Amino acid sequence: MTDFSLRVEGISKRYGSGDTEVTAVSNISLTVSQGEIVLIMGPSGSGKTTLLLLLGALLKPTQGRISLDGLDLSSLAEKALPDIRLHQLGFVFQDFKLLSALSVLDNVAIVAELAGVNSKVARRKAASLLTELGLAERLNFLPEKLSGGEKQRVAIARALINEPRIILADEPTANLDSKIGLQIMRLLRRIAKEQGRSLIIVSHDQRIKDIADRVLWLEDGRFKDMVTMVTDPVCGMALEHEKATSAVWEGQAYYFCSEGCKHEFLANPVHFQTHQAALSLPSATHQEYPLG
Amino acid sequence: MSIKQSLSYRNLIQEKTRFILSVGGITLAVMLILLLNGLMKGLYEQFGAYLRNTPGTVVVSQAGINNFIGSTSTLSSDTVETIQEIDGVSQVIPVLSQFIILDLHDKKQPAYLIGYDSSIGGGPWRISAGREAQSGNEVVFDRTLANRHQIQVNDTLNIMGEQFKVVGLSDGTASWMTSYVFMPKASMETLFGLKGDTSFVLVTADTGVTQQKLMERLNTTLAGVHASAEDEVIANDLNLFARFFSAPLQLMVGIAFLIGTLIVGLIIYTATTERQKEYGVLKAVGSKNNLLYRTVAIQSLIVASLGSLAGVGLTFEVARLITTIRPQFLILIEPTSIFGAVVAGMAMASLGAFFSIWAVTRLSPAEVFRK
Repeated sequence: MTDFSLRVEGISKRYGSGDTEVTAVSNISLTVSQGEIVLIMGPSGSGKTTLLLLLGALLKPTQGRISLDGLDLSSLAEKALPDIRLHQLGFVFQDFKLLSALSVLDNVAIVAELAGVNSKVARRKAASLLTELGLAERLNFLPEKLSGGEKQRVAIARALINEPRIILADEPTANLDSKIGLQIMRLLRRIAKEQGRSLIIVSHDQRIKDIADRVLWLEDGRFKDMVTMVTDPVCGMALEHEKATSAVWEGQAYYFCSEGCKHEFLANPVHFQTHQAALSLPSATHQEYPLG
Repeated sequence: MSIKQSLSYRNLIQEKTRFILSVGGITLAVMLILLLNGLMKGLYEQFGAYLRNTPGTVVVSQAGINNFIGSTSTLSSDTVETIQEIDGVSQVIPVLSQFIILDLHDKKQPAYLIGYDSSIGGGPWRISAGREAQSGNEVVFDRTLANRHQIQVNDTLNIMGEQFKVVGLSDGTASWMTSYVFMPKASMETLFGLKGDTSFVLVTADTGVTQQKLMERLNTTLAGVHASAEDEVIANDLNLFARFFSAPLQLMVGIAFLIGTLIVGLIIYTATTERQKEYGVLKAVGSKNNLLYRTVAIQSLIVASLGSLAGVGLTFEVARLITTIRPQFLILIEPTSIFGAVVAGMAMASLGAFFSIWAVTRLSPAEVFRK
């Protein structure tokens, strides 16, 4: 892969020292290509946010290297990082984080101004971008007057105004309903693909897996392989899809931990369907979990 | 104006209540400082008012007496005549002075009684009603004191058992402690049994004779007297009396400044910390600290400037109100005091800004990602 945007090589981040030392991210390597959409998932406390901070040049790794088109970010002086963030990276936050005193237009234009763009040009550029994102009628509104979806579109415009190579999104759908969340993710995907920007998303939201090119599972500060998990309708045990035995009844596949459970099910499938409903167990649940 | 430059005032006006509170905090602090300072200056002015407004640059008193107000000095009539003979003396005003307690409408009222000769001088320098006390049992009352006790021209008052007719009311002779009451010197001599005596002699030098030279001549020529410069006597009076008031007043000015600083500092610091997440966002997206420092500093400057201006304006109004209700209080608001109060207002805001900038400096952009 030659057109990579971001390369992470064996980075770790530790907080504290001695007995109180905590390893938030441990020996992670990752390459994100231009235009690629990477979704990082994992339980709370798994190190997702720390990893995003490291990728966003907001934290320096304790060890390892992060490079952007060959430029080693981890070796840069602290005072050089704001410029990198301003020009190379765009941020989309969970709760939008718009400046409450500024209008929609100015929330976006100020970031261009920070990059040295003349105020008039910055406003023109921001207006054009916001219009593309369907916010032409909202340019002079204060953020408090916008819906959640509109706020997130403003945040996306703000992330895009300086034409960054990489967009980092932290739980971008967390404060949105499912319909708007999906719209926002499709919008981000379109931008990434059409404009060739890499998109790294940290999220708990299972629904957005569909828009990602790659889904990574982070747990205890490390990436783990993804497997599909299913649930045995007889004993309720969670199983790896590939290791389970299966049977089909009325066109629906069911997975079991053993031949015993399978035979028990097939002897009276209706009973297990009823029983399953009573236990609120999904039939042939297909969920992806990390391989432990 | 760029968005970066306008961020300060937009932040300010967005939170109107906080903005009004911030400006109001400085306004009140500046007003308090100016009022207390003006009250102190007024007090000083009132203490020196008689000597400043009466001709004479040298005050002759009994030896060992360095004060005009609050000291009992006795000079003989011979001494007055001798002073008049001394080379370089242009004018001599002998006066009798005495603290008295008046019984006005069943209220005890301290007053400073001056006995003077209307043909020579030493009496009230501004008459607002009636005329000077010329002879017999006539008095000129301070107008403020007279108003407080509904005393009018032609009223009769009992002073130390004698009936006196109010023939005039004087202006500029009030004090919140003791106002001046003037009567003919001869009447006062009779009242106190001091026939021919004088308390102080106010001496004016001839043209070409310096105050210092005149004092030297008086001190070497006369035995048992002490000639002092008018300013020195006023300073001694201030030292004697004002020390009782100036220390607590200065303390109050200091407390006003401290409270004002704390209010403003707290308001600006809170305003900054409440926007900490927003400043964090700006830092995260690539803003340098300078922009944030400037934003916070300009906010403080705007608040301080408006607060100081409003404070100065309000001081004049409140001073006018106070002196209308309580005319015995003199509140002197001088340009130097205004300058000082404005500087104090700016200092308050600077301190507030300092702590806010300190908070912004410590702000990590990574914090913006914390839930």
